[in-house]
Amino acid sequence: MSATQQYSLLLGLALGVLGTVLSLYGLARSLGATRQEPGKDVPASAGVLSRDPVWGRYHARYYGYALLFLAFDMEMAYMYPWAVVFKEVGLVALLDMGVFLAILFLGLLYGWSQGALRRQ
Amino acid sequence: MTVALVLLTLLVGAWLLAVIEAWLTTGRLRPVAPLLAGLSHLGRESILARKPDRLFFETAPVLLLVVAVLGAAVLPLAPDLVIADLATGALFLNAVLAYVLVSLIMAGWGPNGAYAMVGGWRFLGQLIAYSMLIVMPITATAMRAESLLNSAIVESQAGLWNIVYQPLGFVLFFIAAIALAFRSPFDLPTAPGELAGGVDAEYTGVRLAVLRLARLVMVITLSAATTVFFLGGWQGPLLPPWAWSLIKTLAVAVSMLLVGFYLPRIREADLLGWCWKLGIPLALLNILIVGLLILVVP
Repeated sequence: MSATQQYSLLLGLALGVLGTVLSLYGLARSLGATRQEPGKDVPASAGVLSRDPVWGRYHARYYGYALLFLAFDMEMAYMYPWAVVFKEVGLVALLDMGVFLAILFLGLLYGWSQGALRRQ
Repeated sequence: MTVALVLLTLLVGAWLLAVIEAWLTTGRLRPVAPLLAGLSHLGRESILARKPDRLFFETAPVLLLVVAVLGAAVLPLAPDLVIADLATGALFLNAVLAYVLVSLIMAGWGPNGAYAMVGGWRFLGQLIAYSMLIVMPITATAMRAESLLNSAIVESQAGLWNIVYQPLGFVLFFIAAIALAFRSPFDLPTAPGELAGGVDAEYTGVRLAVLRLARLVMVITLSAATTVFFLGGWQGPLLPPWAWSLIKTLAVAVSMLLVGFYLPRIREADLLGWCWKLGIPLALLNILIVGLLILVVP
């Protein structure tokens, strides 16, 4: 099977799942609609509307981790092609990636020492 | 044909998992109960919260189900029983699993409820914790197979399964898979008893049924991934290949359940700390050990 066929198959699968779910919704709808009653649509918060707006700003207390995560996530983009040719290239590949990872790992250690790995 | 068989496997797996979970919780074996519960959701009201983000609210359960099914589509259950054996299968699985986060943030944001939103944001922190522990062990298995084809990764384990070759990677991947499927003890976004259901809180009726089905299928997909990457996939004596895949996948899924039964829920800050201070150094060490093993033992 060619790559185009495989991806069209996956697209078809996604659309098929969507279609199945939509027909389930249709089936549920045909069994009866939702009654509109006062107070029914209040989100779960002890029966009263929440005092503060929900879609507000949020303090991401893990932002130190998040910054390190960006560095490591970028590194993973290089790791995949490297992993495929690793055995072929041999020791040079291990050393190349070893240096790269060591620099990243030093970054992790530095961040740790500066208190980045802490709930801020 | 293949598509139908794989989808059937997913559904049967999800059903078995629901039966076993209820059995472990209540001590009663009731095989029809999950089916009846699912059907009864169809007849219930599916309430829309006040002032919702309708698009996000409706998309979240469907997206989670699509993600789980697409993830399973690239995993070979037998040599010829795979929907699409992509040349970049291992990478595709990672790419698809990233959308679990998108779905849960949507489920949190959509209903405009405080508990749901807290659950959604919590999962963002959880992703930062587990994500590296999913991708790094998979890379180590690709190193051994010299390919990102999932079937090639299975075939590379013919002599020795990866669980023996790289046990460290297996343990990290297994834990991270539980966190990715947000099962106990990493069920931070739902956290029953603490967040009133979290991202599940505002879903009722047929939408909740889809969401729950998606969570079960997600567990099966991740168990199948663990089987493919670390437990030798379809390989095994006597029984046909698909039977081995099924047995191993179910065993992994049940062990994921059992882990959750005996451990308390971990705090988000602790999860982040453990994953970054212990998990990632160990994952890097795993890559180094595998690299040396490949070079030293041809």
